[in-house]
Amino acid sequence: MRILRYCRLYREFLLQRFKILMEYRINFLIGAASTLVLQAASLLTVWVVMRQVPNLKGWTFDEILLIYGLVTLARSIPHMFADNLWTMGGQYIRTGGFDRFLVRPINPLFHLLADRFCHDGLGNFLVGAVLVAKSSAAVGIHWTPFLAVYLIAAVISGAAIFFALQLMTSVSAFWIMESVPVTQMVFNLHEFARYPLTIYPKVVSTLLTWVIPFGFASFYPACFLLGRPAGILPWLGPITAAILLAVSYRVWLFGLRHYASTGS
Amino acid sequence: MIRRIWTKMRALAAFAGMIPKLFLAYRLWVWMDFFVRIFSLTVFYYFWNAVYAGGGDIRGLSLAQTLNYILLAQILSPLVQSRLPMVMGRLVREGDVGIELLRPVDFQSRWYAECMGVSATMIVIQIPLVIIACVCFEMHLPSDPRVWAVFAVTVWLGQAVVFLFDWMFSCLVFYTTEVWGLWVLREGVAAFFSGALVPLQFMPEWLERICRAMPFAQALYVPVSILSGIAPVSDAPRLWLIQIAWIVGLGILSRTFFGVAIRKVTVQGG
Repeated sequence: MRILRYCRLYREFLLQRFKILMEYRINFLIGAASTLVLQAASLLTVWVVMRQVPNLKGWTFDEILLIYGLVTLARSIPHMFADNLWTMGGQYIRTGGFDRFLVRPINPLFHLLADRFCHDGLGNFLVGAVLVAKSSAAVGIHWTPFLAVYLIAAVISGAAIFFALQLMTSVSAFWIMESVPVTQMVFNLHEFARYPLTIYPKVVSTLLTWVIPFGFASFYPACFLLGRPAGILPWLGPITAAILLAVSYRVWLFGLRHYASTGS
Repeated sequence: MIRRIWTKMRALAAFAGMIPKLFLAYRLWVWMDFFVRIFSLTVFYYFWNAVYAGGGDIRGLSLAQTLNYILLAQILSPLVQSRLPMVMGRLVREGDVGIELLRPVDFQSRWYAECMGVSATMIVIQIPLVIIACVCFEMHLPSDPRVWAVFAVTVWLGQAVVFLFDWMFSCLVFYTTEVWGLWVLREGVAAFFSGALVPLQFMPEWLERICRAMPFAQALYVPVSILSGIAPVSDAPRLWLIQIAWIVGLGILSRTFFGVAIRKVTVQGG
C-alpha cells in the first residue's frame, strides 16, 4: 500500500520535472548528449590502443567493451534517479531548502531523490546499453532467458552499489554543507572497474572487490557472461548490494539526526 | 533582556561557525582533486603496462617512453582545459560584457593576460603530482636544461594557440547565449585530440591528421613530446614555426570573427 502511494507520488514528481525540461528543449537535448561526447573520448582511446595489441593480458577488445558497457550502464541508473545526492549540499542544505523535506509527510530521502530526475544520465544509459549489446554479439554470447535475468540482476546490483556509496558519502553534507568532494573521491574509483581487474596488482583488485566493491558492477558479471572462471564472486553482487544498501541507509539516518538547519 | 542578548549572540556565533565549515569544505575540494588525479594516473599506469605486457615496442615507442609521455600528458592536461567559454557566457548572460568593452584596455589582451596567469598557476600546482609520478610510477624528467628551455617556449606558444582558438569559439556564445553544451563539446574534443589520453603515434593516419588539423595538440602533445623525450630538442625550430603559424592565423581570424560576432550581442539587463 505504501509502496503504491510512493510510486504514484514518483510519477507526479516525474511529470512535473518533464514539464520543466520540455520548457527548455534544447537544453534537454544538450544535457542528454553531453555525456555522449565525454564517453566517446575515452572509448576512442580504448579503440586506438587495442588496435595495436591483440589483447590486454588475455582480454580482447570486445571483452573490454563488455566490462566498460556494464559499468556505464550501472552508473547511469543512479545518475538519472539519484543525482540530487550530489547537489544536496549546495542546492538544498546551504540554501535551507532541505527543511522543506522534513516537514512533509513523506520519507525525506524519497523526496530528495524524486525532486529532480537527471536527464544527463540518459546518454550514459544509451552508451552502456549499446556497448553491452554490441560486444556480447561480437564475442558470441548466446542469450538464454537465464542469462538475460542474470544480466538484469547484475546491472541492478551494480546500480545499487553506486547508489549506496553515493548515499553514504553524501551524508557528509549534514556536517560540512557540501558532499561533492567526499562523494567524488569514492565515485572516481569506478574508473578502475572499466578494465579487467586482473591488470592491477592484488591490492587494487581486493579494494575494488571487498572495500569499494565496484568490481561487482562490471568485472565479475562480465566474467560470468564470458564463461571465465571467477569462483563464487559473480554471484555475490546482489548480496553485496543489499548489505551496502542497508548500511548506507543507516548512515543516512544517522546523518539526518545530526542535521542542524543553516537557518537561512 | 538577557534572553534577547543570548539569542543574538547565538545567531552571531552561527555566522562565525560557518567559516571553519566553509574552509574545511574548500580544503576538501583541493584534496579531492588531488586524489582523483592520482587514481587516474594509477589506472593509466597499469593500463599501459598491460598494453605492453606482450613485450617489444609499439609504433616505435617503448613502454618507458609511452609511460613517460602519458603520465606527463595527464598531469599537464589542465593546460588544454578552458574557462573562456564559461567566462564569456557569464559576461553575456549578466550583461557585464557592455562594461568590459568600455574599459580602456584591449578586451582580448586583458583576457589573454588573465589566461596566461591561470596557466602558469596550473603548472605550478601540478608539482606534487609530478613528484608522486616520479616516485611511484617510474616517470623520468630530463636533466638537460636545454630541454626545459625548449619545453617552456613550446608551452607558452601552445597556450597562445589554444587561447586564440577558445576566443573564437567563445564568440559563438554571442549567437547561442547557451554555454554548457558548447563547453562540454569543447572539453570532450580537446581531451582526445590534444593527445592527453593516447600519444598521437598510436592513432591511425586519418585520426592523426585530424589531430594535427586541430589546435589542441599544439598546447599539449607538442610540449609533452619534448619533455618526455619523444621529440628531440633539434626539432624545436620546426615545432616553433608551426606554432607561430597557428598563432598568426588564429590571431587574425579571432579578431575578425570577434568584430563580426560582437555586433550580435544583446546586452541582457545590466
